[in-house]
Amino acid sequence: MQLSNPSNPLRDPRDRRLPRVPDPCALVVFGVTGDLARKKLIPAVYDLGNRGLLPPGFALLGFARRDWDHGEFEELAREAARKGARTPWRPEAWTRIADAVRFVPGSFDDDDAFDTLAQTLIELEASHGIGGNAAFYLSIPPAAFPTVLKQMRRTGMASNDAAGGWRRVVVEKPFGYNLASSRELNTLVDEVFTPGDVFRIDHYLGKETVQNLLALRFANTLFEPIWNSHYVDSVQITMAEDVGIGSRAGFYDGAGAARDVLQNHLLQLLALTAMEEPVSFDAESLRIEKKKVLEAISLPTDLATGTVRGRYTQGWLAGSRVSGYLAEEGVPAASRTETYAAVRLGVETRRWGGVPFYLRTGKRLPRRVTEIAVILSKAPHLPFDATATTELGNNQLVIRVQPDEGITLRFGSKVPGSAMEVRDVSMDFLYGEAFTEGSPEAYERLMLDVLLGDATLFPRNEEVEAAWKVVDPIEEFWAEGGHPEDYRAGEWGPRSAEAMLAREGRGWRRP
Amino acid sequence: MTTLWDTTGTAVVKALAAERRVSGAASGLVLTLVVVTDEAQVEATEQAATQAASQHPCRVLVVVRRQTAAPEPRLDAEVSIGGRLGPGEAVVMRMYGRLGLHAESVVLPLLASDAPVVTWWFGEPPDLIAHDPLGVLAGRRITDVQNLTDPRAGLIARAHDYSSGDTDLAWTRTTPWRSVLAGAYDAVTGRPTEARVVAEPSSPSAALLAAWLGGRLNLDVRIDDHRGPGIAEVHLQVDGGPGAEGTDISLVRDSEHSGRLARTGEPDRTMPLPRAEHGDLLAEELRRLEPDPVYAAALGRLAGLGDLADRAAIRSHIWRDPAEQAAAHG
Repeated sequence: MQLSNPSNPLRDPRDRRLPRVPDPCALVVFGVTGDLARKKLIPAVYDLGNRGLLPPGFALLGFARRDWDHGEFEELAREAARKGARTPWRPEAWTRIADAVRFVPGSFDDDDAFDTLAQTLIELEASHGIGGNAAFYLSIPPAAFPTVLKQMRRTGMASNDAAGGWRRVVVEKPFGYNLASSRELNTLVDEVFTPGDVFRIDHYLGKETVQNLLALRFANTLFEPIWNSHYVDSVQITMAEDVGIGSRAGFYDGAGAARDVLQNHLLQLLALTAMEEPVSFDAESLRIEKKKVLEAISLPTDLATGTVRGRYTQGWLAGSRVSGYLAEEGVPAASRTETYAAVRLGVETRRWGGVPFYLRTGKRLPRRVTEIAVILSKAPHLPFDATATTELGNNQLVIRVQPDEGITLRFGSKVPGSAMEVRDVSMDFLYGEAFTEGSPEAYERLMLDVLLGDATLFPRNEEVEAAWKVVDPIEEFWAEGGHPEDYRAGEWGPRSAEAMLAREGRGWRRP
Repeated sequence: MTTLWDTTGTAVVKALAAERRVSGAASGLVLTLVVVTDEAQVEATEQAATQAASQHPCRVLVVVRRQTAAPEPRLDAEVSIGGRLGPGEAVVMRMYGRLGLHAESVVLPLLASDAPVVTWWFGEPPDLIAHDPLGVLAGRRITDVQNLTDPRAGLIARAHDYSSGDTDLAWTRTTPWRSVLAGAYDAVTGRPTEARVVAEPSSPSAALLAAWLGGRLNLDVRIDDHRGPGIAEVHLQVDGGPGAEGTDISLVRDSEHSGRLARTGEPDRTMPLPRAEHGDLLAEELRRLEPDPVYAAALGRLAGLGDLADRAAIRSHIWRDPAEQAAAHG
């Protein structure tokens, strides 16, 4: 086994030019023929290699039910990397990776295939110096998890001790279907791997702006003093998509917007916005604070008025006609699945008591945008004529997660002229303008973290379960009866979403 | 783009403000990059600055000093935003006559407010940075001794003149080598017994790499000759590890982009070892704006001056008149 040399004299924490490079290792991708692997994972591996962030001993293994040899897989992987890479395409950079690309064909219940996989890992230790280290990326439907995990236990692939190195597993959302199934899944994964070696990917947490939220809050003196119910009127967190469900009807119709997005992305964003300052920036301290906030979330007293679900109907979006949800291929006519979900949550802590957190997500909304808007209270007294401030709204601090990553601050300013008139203006910080240094793709960053063993940006088990405790009562209430309310594709959601805020004298911000 | 002939510093400031209004330019400027160059190299300078600016949006001020002996001082300027000099703001200034000796009078009002200033001498660095007021006003100063006829002597001069915040592109060129070596060293334990660098005899990067290895491993590092260009090979020996005779680590450049990493008991690997262009080197320098203590230590060891990291970061301008010097020499 190769031990990292903790006292490497060539490394110096002050030497900021040298990148962190993982230990020698293999990355094993299950379901390597899938969309995610081709569009994100393989390009991310290439980008890491191109930036010199892969260790000297590195191998990429693909596992899928295809009758391929290494060469055919290498070709597919090269094509995928060339199409999806963020960094410039350099054939010689790929050659370095290609040399260590392996493919193991087989289905998940095929014992022989998993034996071959285990054998290949052992061979690579000798031929490519990967040590006993391997990360397994499960880019497969959750239904297949038990089979694959059992196979890994049988072959001893998941055991750190047996391998004489580290063995990690990467799991994609959905992390279950509700609290019970998520616990089941967690137990299963934790039985096979050590809990600390399980990495749950929420790719939103890999985005620079989300990490910048922590810098914004905890590295500055400007924002933290107002980050509480004394100054904040409400918080709106939006994740809007302009696309429909595409070919995902099979999965989507069984899940819906709340399970697909609200349970993971939106609640993680809420946790990062509302949490207390962690004592340090490591994975454990962050997890403690996020878990505390997630457990302090309260649901609206009346779920009928405090939640909204919608479903898109035929409409026009970005200049073309798109069909309604029920007309999408594979959606049953009796479907009651929501494609839009909005909910008013509270965070029952001293800092946030009384501040509503409005979360919304939907498909076929006018544009693709994710943002966190912190809406500040109005000034308690305005020493101007009433007519001078009619156009003055609430001050807002908006963190734009995607696209146009950045921060907007909205505040009132005098309109030039002889009369006193105050109107809202925006001050913009565009991430890409201050640092265009190509921000790494979320997957690139997260993959590197997995190989480095840094779990800071990965939600832990307890967070996932706490998030289900928020979503489950809503889902149960929705299941009792009723239908999602229709909204036209290309609109900002159903009418009752507007009504939900209007009742409290507020309105959604147009992102 | 606005071009101004025979103009004044005030007019340049106004033209820049006007360009900003028209183009609705960004307020997100994080730094000002001052580039000192000469007419023959303007094009190469602009290309490098454009490449770096596309990664780190900044205000680029290119200062071309021409004909310092010309009787009449004169300033020509070209102001552009989002034009041929990349997405950011750029001002190219040609200064004639004695104005070149007072370039800071034009540059100071053009610096982005309260943002760090980086000065880069594209060609030969000054003997003493304090001689150039454009170096005195910068928080970070980038030289490139590679451009001198005797780069090794240039490095010694840099060491004597060093103050916190100085950096040299000869050091930046060692980063790929250092990353691969540090990565390879992660996997070994044991005491280093020998280190050797094989390089072009004049290569300043090889000298810095050797000094760095020597300092970190507490060894004397030999530099063997090679036709180059630059660094060709690095060999390290450590007692302990898989082989009874110890572990050898060697990294040998095998192409313009890569090197072969060989280690006892491990299969050989090809590692990225790009020969970076000026733009890439500059971009790496702009990524971090704080002083580089690791460079200070290597440079100090190279010149036998000990660690330079605690030198003051601030210089005061030392007036030097090239005309008087020429007269003295003439």
